[in-house]
Amino acid sequence: MSNKLYTYGIVEQEGLELDVEGVGGAESIYTVDYRALSAVVSDIDTTDPERTDDAVEAHNDVLQRVLEYDGGRTIVPMSFGMAFKNGRTLKGVLRGAQRALRSTLNDIDSTVELGVKVIDSGEDETAEEIAQAGMTDRLSEASINETENDLFSDRLIVNKSYLVDREHRDEFDAAIDTIRSAHDDVTVQYTGPWPPYNFVDIHIGTDQQRGGR
Amino acid sequence: MFILDDVLVKPFFSVLDILHTMALGEMYDMGSIRDDIKENQLLYEIGERPKAEYEERKQELEAELEMAELIQSQMRDRMEVKR
Repeated sequence: MSNKLYTYGIVEQEGLELDVEGVGGAESIYTVDYRALSAVVSDIDTTDPERTDDAVEAHNDVLQRVLEYDGGRTIVPMSFGMAFKNGRTLKGVLRGAQRALRSTLNDIDSTVELGVKVIDSGEDETAEEIAQAGMTDRLSEASINETENDLFSDRLIVNKSYLVDREHRDEFDAAIDTIRSAHDDVTVQYTGPWPPYNFVDIHIGTDQQRGGR
Repeated sequence: MFILDDVLVKPFFSVLDILHTMALGEMYDMGSIRDDIKENQLLYEIGERPKAEYEERKQELEAELEMAELIQSQMRDRMEVKR
């Protein structure tokens, strides 16, 4: 059996063990501890996993599962592909980044990321004006922080990620409902909860771990 | 004749070369193809594009992206040789 470790993210020190499909055909995930931190990992045969749609989906599914496990966990997500030769190498990396990781865990404590895309129906030319006239103000009020993402399509009016306190999730959901009922000329794609990819910026080892999907 | 050819024809080929490189750059713009991939995914996710059409378009775009990567890397090599 391989002792290479694929890493999904970092949580406050805790012994987690879950049956969930991981990257590279793993059937369970567990934690490797270093002082007050735990890396969520699964066994893998390679340190260079292939980036397929299924593998990326498995990576995200594990993060989501941990994020929602037993009332919710705060997790600093890793980008896809972080695999280590063994536990010792992983612990070395955790040692080097422990200050940044602890600080980030503190910053994103009890939060989740929610994604909002507003898509123009393509029929109403005023949709963009409506959007710019404060459509997302209530979302901003119900969140702690937000980032503007790339408008990769002409039909995209809004593409934002919000950092929301778990306890204020209902307010955010209500704001989404308000937008949906007030603007039937647009489609609102509301996704999450995600680990706060867009609000984490930690450099680990030689690879930069930056948020963003 | 050789000198005349060199003076008159060489600049013409240089301009053509630049125009050709610019046209290729525009045709194989990886950023724009990546945007199209994301748009295809989005339209599928919101139910505007049926699965079969989404998958067919995805395959086309992935092939375009692969070709664009190849062309762009060849263009970079050419620029480096000229410097």
